[in-house]
Amino acid sequence: MFDGLMQGLATALHPSVLIYSLFGVFLGTFVGVLPGIGAMATISLLLPLTYYISPEAALVMLAGVYYGSQYGGAVASILLRLPGTPQSAVTSLDGYPMARDGRAGLALFTSMISSFTGSMLGILVLVVLAGWLADLATKFGAADYAAMMILGLVAAATVGSDSPAKSLAMVVLGLLLGCIGTDVNTGTQRLTFGWAELMDGINLVALAMGLFGVSEVIANIRKADRHGPPGKVKFRQMLPTGAQMRQIIPPALRGTAVGSFFGALPGTGSTISSFLSYALERRIARQPERFGHGAIEGVAAPEAANNSASITAFVPTLTLGIPGDPIMALMLGALIIHGIQPGPMMLEARPEMFWGLVVSFGIGNLFLLILNLPLIGIWVSMLRIPFRWLYPAILIFVCLGVYSVRGSTFDLVMVAGIGAVGYLLALARFNPALLLLGFVLGPLIEVNLRRAMLIARGDPMVFLERPIAAVFIIAAAGLLAMSLWQAIGRRQSRP
Amino acid sequence: MQRDYYDLLGGGALAALGLGVAAYSGAHYDFGTLRQMGPGFFPVGLGLLLAGLGLIVAVPAWRRQTEARPFDLPEAAAALGAILVFALTMNRLGLILGTALAVLIATLPAARPGALWRLVLAGVVTVLVWLVFKVALAMTIPLWPWSA
Repeated sequence: MFDGLMQGLATALHPSVLIYSLFGVFLGTFVGVLPGIGAMATISLLLPLTYYISPEAALVMLAGVYYGSQYGGAVASILLRLPGTPQSAVTSLDGYPMARDGRAGLALFTSMISSFTGSMLGILVLVVLAGWLADLATKFGAADYAAMMILGLVAAATVGSDSPAKSLAMVVLGLLLGCIGTDVNTGTQRLTFGWAELMDGINLVALAMGLFGVSEVIANIRKADRHGPPGKVKFRQMLPTGAQMRQIIPPALRGTAVGSFFGALPGTGSTISSFLSYALERRIARQPERFGHGAIEGVAAPEAANNSASITAFVPTLTLGIPGDPIMALMLGALIIHGIQPGPMMLEARPEMFWGLVVSFGIGNLFLLILNLPLIGIWVSMLRIPFRWLYPAILIFVCLGVYSVRGSTFDLVMVAGIGAVGYLLALARFNPALLLLGFVLGPLIEVNLRRAMLIARGDPMVFLERPIAAVFIIAAAGLLAMSLWQAIGRRQSRP
Repeated sequence: MQRDYYDLLGGGALAALGLGVAAYSGAHYDFGTLRQMGPGFFPVGLGLLLAGLGLIVAVPAWRRQTEARPFDLPEAAAALGAILVFALTMNRLGLILGTALAVLIATLPAARPGALWRLVLAGVVTVLVWLVFKVALAMTIPLWPWSA
């Protein structure tokens, strides 16, 4: 472990990696602060640019965008009640009332120190769990992998979802889109309708940019500039008293525990963690009625949870090669672009990759804390930039980003079409992030399922006979049964 | 308040898509057996699953009320139009003119009237794009119509 840490330090402190790491967290905070463009769109935008840099630098930069956006996302949530990122939506429930009471500085400080606590402890969890899981994963067979991914998809669609049927429909649509292209086992062209451009399947970057970049831009052109100017926040107002500090730390630690757990599970990520930790705080509070009116725990816990989850989400991504949430799916895409297949062997075969990432998390979060406290005034003033100055440039960057993947204008037409569909889906409140998760996991599930059935001579009982697979399948069935039961309960309680 | 057309149409479209994909795949690809799944196994299975889920979403929506949400048609048309125009022009008119044209189209629905800021914005974005993609990343896209 000590060797690994040293190796990680050498990788992360290498100037070319360090610069991309700092660039990533800076850009992440920036897009996190701005409502209307999130980490998902930014990472898909940067994905093609990672062709030009080393895989270590690419991963470190994209990860920096992700956790940096968690810091930034809270700023708009607290000051404008406009979540900069979905992960920080719940922070606005109590952060915005705090800002209205003149405690904006304290709310921002709480969110930053909680984010920092969550990230740092999340790194520890990542190191411990990754080592343990990588050992366990060598025992995984095809059936176990397929079962685990199915559990991941079911969990993503049902946990914390208002409408599990709509969420599951998005997952299945994603799985179907993943079928498009050449079938690996037989070479059959599936659902390509004679288009040669679709032989390799739908381009991941085009799909992600259409679903997130383009549809977010459309939804925000009219909406984003309709808020008043944010109030001024000074560094000195941010510093808490000792008593306030004691109010922040316990919920931040509980939030970290919730976030670390749900982040490491495949399927549930930082958005779900932030909602669950908020619910937990309200349940255990002595005066639950304070929530929604500026309870400091309501800022500390979800911010710690979403940051720790964004770190521990790397556990299944790096050790099993199974992305736990859609952003991890993009990270996996970045690694595969560079010819690195994450999985149980990666920790041994590419230790500098894993440990470099771990050390860069530490450096990046420290940098975010040191940078963001004094610079808070600058981030707040970013909220004054009208969206109409930004979105035309975002659109052009999306186009050139997609074009740079393989120099095809067909992909640009795809982006426009997917963007239109993505906007309609968002309008009807279908979650496009689940579509992307299904799309990435689909081919992996299919390969493993077909292999498992071949080995088991067509007997589906293999999923209940292997203990690892059985646990996953039973858990997935349990989640489905629970959401069915809740749906029936809701219908009966209605007059 | 109005009938929940979002779930009704969304679920209905997904159900139709699922059925269509299942029928097409069933007709064109080998389904195989459980032991030796063919290329049709997944598309047919998933298509039927999607059709079922689409119905579960759509049917209860018929009797449910929901609030109308604004549909930003001009904004959608401008953003998608900008992308399509950029796709068609970038290799013919070059990066400079393509970018400027796409930015101008994208700004059409923006709230503030006035041609000047649109032109200034088009100029600024074009310079930015030239610096990032041509100077820094050296992408092989023609700059001008005559360099194509």
